[in-house]
Amino acid sequence: MFKRLQTKLTVLYAGLFALALSVVAVTVYVAIASNAQRAVRQELAATGTVFDRIWALRTQRLQDGAELLSRDFGFRAAVATHDRATVESAVTNLRQRLGLDLAFTVGVDGEVVGLDPSRLDLETLWTALDAEDGAQGVFSIDGQPHQLISAPILSPTLTGWVVFAAKLDEREMQALEKLSAIGLDAQVFTQRGEAWVSADRAPAGGELAAFVAKAMQEKSRAPAMLRDGGDSLVLVQPIRALDQTRGAALVLRHPMALAMAPYRPLMAAVIIAGLIGAALVAAASWALSRGLAKPITALDEAARRLQRGEDVSVAVTTDDEIGRLAESFNLMAEEIREREADMVHQALHDAETGLPNRRALERAIQDRLTGLAVGEQVVIGTIGLDRFPQVRAAIGYELATQLVAKLGQRIVDTVPGLIVGRLTTSILCVVSTTTDIEDVLARAEALLPSLEAPLQIGGEPVDVHITFGLASATNADIDASRLIEHALIGLDQARATHGKLMVFDPVAYGDPASNLSLMSEMLEAVRNGDLFLNHQPKLDLRSGQITGVEALVRWNHPTRGFLRPDLFVGMAEETGHIRALTDYVLTQAIEDQARLRAAGHEVLMSVNVSGRLIDDQAFAEHAIAQVAAAGANLCFEITETAVIGNPDIALAVLARLAEANIRVSIDDYGSGLSSLAYLKQIRADELKIDKMFVTALESGGTDALLVKSTVDLAHSLGMKVTAEGVETREVIAALQLMGCDLAQGYHVAKPLAVDKLIEFLDAWAIDLPVKTESRLSA
Amino acid sequence: MKRLATLLIAMFLGGHAYAGDLTVSVRGADGKPVPDAVVMVYPNGQPTKGPIKFPWAYRVAQQNIQFSPFMLVVPVGADVQFPNLDKVRHHVYSFSPGNKFEIKLYGQEENRTAKMSAPGVVAIGCNIHDKMVSFIRVVDTAYAGKTDANGVVTVRDVPVGAVTAKVWHPYLRGMKNEKTLAITSVGAGAAREAVTVELRQPSGHH
Repeated sequence: MFKRLQTKLTVLYAGLFALALSVVAVTVYVAIASNAQRAVRQELAATGTVFDRIWALRTQRLQDGAELLSRDFGFRAAVATHDRATVESAVTNLRQRLGLDLAFTVGVDGEVVGLDPSRLDLETLWTALDAEDGAQGVFSIDGQPHQLISAPILSPTLTGWVVFAAKLDEREMQALEKLSAIGLDAQVFTQRGEAWVSADRAPAGGELAAFVAKAMQEKSRAPAMLRDGGDSLVLVQPIRALDQTRGAALVLRHPMALAMAPYRPLMAAVIIAGLIGAALVAAASWALSRGLAKPITALDEAARRLQRGEDVSVAVTTDDEIGRLAESFNLMAEEIREREADMVHQALHDAETGLPNRRALERAIQDRLTGLAVGEQVVIGTIGLDRFPQVRAAIGYELATQLVAKLGQRIVDTVPGLIVGRLTTSILCVVSTTTDIEDVLARAEALLPSLEAPLQIGGEPVDVHITFGLASATNADIDASRLIEHALIGLDQARATHGKLMVFDPVAYGDPASNLSLMSEMLEAVRNGDLFLNHQPKLDLRSGQITGVEALVRWNHPTRGFLRPDLFVGMAEETGHIRALTDYVLTQAIEDQARLRAAGHEVLMSVNVSGRLIDDQAFAEHAIAQVAAAGANLCFEITETAVIGNPDIALAVLARLAEANIRVSIDDYGSGLSSLAYLKQIRADELKIDKMFVTALESGGTDALLVKSTVDLAHSLGMKVTAEGVETREVIAALQLMGCDLAQGYHVAKPLAVDKLIEFLDAWAIDLPVKTESRLSA
Repeated sequence: MKRLATLLIAMFLGGHAYAGDLTVSVRGADGKPVPDAVVMVYPNGQPTKGPIKFPWAYRVAQQNIQFSPFMLVVPVGADVQFPNLDKVRHHVYSFSPGNKFEIKLYGQEENRTAKMSAPGVVAIGCNIHDKMVSFIRVVDTAYAGKTDANGVVTVRDVPVGAVTAKVWHPYLRGMKNEKTLAITSVGAGAAREAVTVELRQPSGHH
C-alpha cells in the first residue's frame, strides 16, 4: 500500500500509538462510564429508598390526620346527622391545619362534602374506599395525580370516609429531586388503560412511557438504562394506587450525560494528550524513518545505477548498520567495476601478449567503418610471422610469443596511432589511420625493412620475416570480420606468390563458397556429358610415330564456361570426390582407346591418377579389373610426391598395377623434391620431366645437363623418359640428342578431342630433326 | 301470661282461629350459620297495630368494654336500658335517624335508659371506646326475632295467611342491609325456612 519505507514506518508507529491511545481512552471512558453509571444506580436506588420512606411518612402523617378527624365525636355527629356545613368547615379546618391540598368526606351513600363531586371519578373512588379500610394511594383528581388517604367514619357503623389528598405536582417532585445528591428528574406515572402517562410534567417521550410500562410489567426494581437519544438511567418505583386495578409509579431519571459531565474535562484532557502524543509520535517517526529511509533510498538508487553499469558511490553519513551497508556497497561497486574492467580487458585482449584480440580489433574496425566519410576507406593489414612453427620449435613457445608481442610493440612504436592486435598465434592485425590503401601500401613497403630487423629475445637477436596482407573497405562494403578475413586472404595470397606484401585480390580469390557446390555439379556433369576427355599425343623421338596419348579431363560448365582442370581436380582431391572423377576418366579413357583402336590407331593411353588414390587398394582392384575386362593398354601417371606420402601401401599398389600390366609413369619429375632413393624403389615404366626444365633447354646451361642426367638415370633404372612442354623443333632436337624417348607439347600437338585426334593421327607425319641413323646410334 | 295475653290479643284483634311458628335458618355464603340476624314477619305485609311486647329484656349492658348483647330487637317506643357494668365510664351514643340519643359519660352501676321512638336501625357506639359497637333493631311488627348462635330463629304464632318476611343484618349486602325471604304465606303449625345471605366485612375496628 505504501511504497515508501518512510511512510510505512511513520504510519506504523503513529498508527500503533493512536491504537494504544484509543484503547487507553476507551478503557478510561468505559471505566468512567461504568463508574458513573454505578454511582447513578446507587444514587437512584438510594433516592428510591428515600422516596419510599418519605412516602410512608407522608402517608402516615395524612393517615393520622384523617383518622383523628374521623374519630372526632363532633365531626362524626355532624356527618351522621348530615350537617354539611359543619362537616365542610371541619374538613376545611383540618386541611388548613395540615396544609393539605384537598380534604373531603364521602358518605357511604355517595354524598361528597368539601369537594365538587364532578372533579373526580366518584364511583371509582367509592368502590376503592369501600373495598378496604383506610384505602390510600395515587388517584387522579382534576386529571392530576394526588396522593389520597382515607379513613372510615364510624358512628359507630361506617357512615363514610374522610379523604385527604396531596397533589403529586411539580413542586412535590422538585422537593423530592432536591433530596438527591445527583440531578434527578422525578415523575409520577399513572396507568390509563394499557398506557402509562406522566401526569404532571411536560409530556414524556413515548420511549419513557414504554420503558415504564415494561418495567412495571416485569416488576423490575433495579435502575436500568434507557436509550432514547440521550442515555439515562431510570428507576421505576411502583407506588400504590388507590384504584388497585390500576398502577402508579414514581419514575426517577438521571441522564448519563449529566453523570458523565464531571468527567468531561478528564476525557478532554486524555484526548488532547493523546492527540498531542500522536502528533509527536508521527513527527518523531517521520524524522526517524527519514533518517533510516534516506540512506536506504540513496542505496536503492545507487544499486539501480550500478545495475545500469554506471559508476556509483554513495555517501557514508553514519557509522551505524546503514553506514556500514553503504561502505560495503561502495566496496562492492568498486570491486564490480574492477572485475568488469578486468573482464573487458580480458575479453578484448590476448592473454599471452597483452595485445588487443580479434574482438577488440573488430570493434575498432567497426567503429572506424561507421565513422567513415564518403570516399574514405578503412585500411587494415595482416602481418604474418613467416615460418612461425619453425621459429617456435627453435626458441620455444614462450619466447615465440614474446617475439609476437615485441613485433606488435615495434609496429606501434614505428607508427604511432595504429591499432595493433593479435589475430592468430602468428598473425598480427593493424588498423591504419590512413584512409587510402595506396598510401598504406607505399608506407608498408617503406617500413618493411625496419620491421624485419632482428628482435632481441631473451638477450639474443632473432630474425624476423614477415608478410603483409592488406584489405580495405568503405562503410557500405562489408563488416569488420569480413574485412579481417580479406586481409588474411591477402596475406595468404602474398605467401602463395612468395611476395612480401599483397593487397587482397578478390578476383584471384574468386568465391570459394561457390566452389563447394561445384562438386555436386561435377558429379552431375559426369552423367550429362559436360565432362569430357582431350588427349595430348606423345611423340616417339626415335620412330617419329605417335605412340601414346595423355588423357586430360575437361569441363564445359553450363554457366561458368570451360573450367581449369587444376581448379576442379584440386577441389575434387580436397573434398573426396577424386575417386568418382578418376573412375569417370578411366572409363572414358578406355572407351576412347577402343574408338582409336577401331580407327586403326594403337596408342598407349595415359591417365592421371591422383596421389590420393595410389594408396587406395580398392581403387587399384577396380582399375585392374576394368583394364582386364576391356583389354586396355593403360599408363597411370602419378606424381612422385604422392608416392612419398604413404610409401608402403603405395609401393604395394604400384606392384599390383605392374603385375596387371598397367604402366606407371612418374609425372612432373623435377618440380618437387625428388628423392633418388624413392625413385629407385618405384617400379615405374616412365619418367616425365617437368616442362619447367624442358622449356629452359633452349637457353642451354645447367638445365640441359639436368635433363641429360635425368634421362640417363631413368634409362639406367629401366624407365623411358618423356619430356613435357615441348614447343619448338630445337627442343625436340636437343631431346633427341640427349636420348629422350618421348616428347609431349604444343609443338607436337595440343590436347585434342577423340574425333580430332583420329583425324590428327590419320594425317600424322613428321620430319624429325635428328635422323634415324642418329637415333640408331643413340 | 304474656303469651296468653298475646294470644288473646291476637284472637281478639285478628279474628284468626289459627297461627303457626316460623323457623328461619340463616346461613352465610360460606354455609356457616349467621347469628344476630333479625327476621321480621309482616302478616299481609302490614306492621302490627297496637303495642308490641317481646319476651326478652330491652337492655344493652356495657360489660368488659363491650355492648351486650350485640344485637337487640325491640318494638317501637321501647325504653332500652344501658346499665354500665364496667369499672370505666362510657359515653354511649347513637346517631341513627329517629332514635338519636346520647348518654354522656356515666359510671359503674349507673343505669340509663333511652327511648326508641322510631322503627329502624339504631347503631350504638361508645365515644370513648371505638371498638364498642352494637345494634338495636326497632321493629313495628310483633313477629320478629334474632338468630341464635346456630343462625336459627323461631318466630312464634304467626297468623296463618299471606306474609312478608325479611331478614336483616347490619353487615348484610343488600338494600338497607335487608333481604326479603322467599316465604309468602304461613300455614298452621310449624314451618321451616332457610335463607342464605352474603355478609360484608364490618368497617371500623371490631
